[in-house]
Amino acid sequence: MAMKGRKSGAGRNMTRRTVKLNLDLRPDQPILYKDLELLRKCIGSQGEIISRRRTALNAKRQRELKQAIKRARHLALLPFVG
Amino acid sequence: MTRTYECMFLLDNDAVRAGWNDAKSSVSSLVSKHGGSVVTARRWDERRLAYPIRHKNRATYLLTYCELDAPQIEELRNELDISETVLRYLILATDAVPAEERELSEAEQSPEFELPEPPADDAIDVVPSAETEEKSEGETPAADGEATQEKPAEASSEASDAAPEVKAPVSAAATAEAEEN
Repeated sequence: MAMKGRKSGAGRNMTRRTVKLNLDLRPDQPILYKDLELLRKCIGSQGEIISRRRTALNAKRQRELKQAIKRARHLALLPFVG
Repeated sequence: MTRTYECMFLLDNDAVRAGWNDAKSSVSSLVSKHGGSVVTARRWDERRLAYPIRHKNRATYLLTYCELDAPQIEELRNELDISETVLRYLILATDAVPAEERELSEAEQSPEFELPEPPADDAIDVVPSAETEEKSEGETPAADGEATQEKPAEASSEASDAAPEVKAPVSAAATAEAEEN
């Protein structure tokens, strides 16, 4: 039957690894509010800013990202909610 | 002390339709009124807003770089808040005007530049007007049509309830084939 594939999913090791985003950011590239292609990747389905754990940015860069997303929200480029 | 600022303005599409250059100069006149000068100004984009602002769904973004005196900014902000044309603004201090901004701003000055007409659906009707009521009346027959269309769909779903017994052997055969391949 179609039950075959289920064996692998619920194995012994249940620790779930967070899936990191692939942002393709150069180290010298500033995170700007105008770069919507980038910022869209960094917000969740409800418009929330994705955590550092998933963006894999360092603290300084995450602050930069936070600022950019908030600026974009102010200009209605990104949603506050939804 | 004079500094360079990057100013992004969200302009009402109604003002943009009335004339792009007029809309632009109305903003730059505000800046120059407060002792500033606009270095570059260009249309950044025209897009659907993430959320409605002043009952508008769409607006045009004007990206400018200005030389301004820091103490004047507060007064400029006050005036921008009152302005009907400017829906939102963002003023950021920058070090220099990017070279490409100068080019893009000049390209807009050339006679070849044509402003894409903003789409018409930028306004939201808050109070349903007489027109929309007429429309909704016009839609009712269509809604009836949908209702009649749903009936055959239900019938087919009933048929599919009965079907699995027949279909199951077929799908089993298909999977068997797939495994062989």
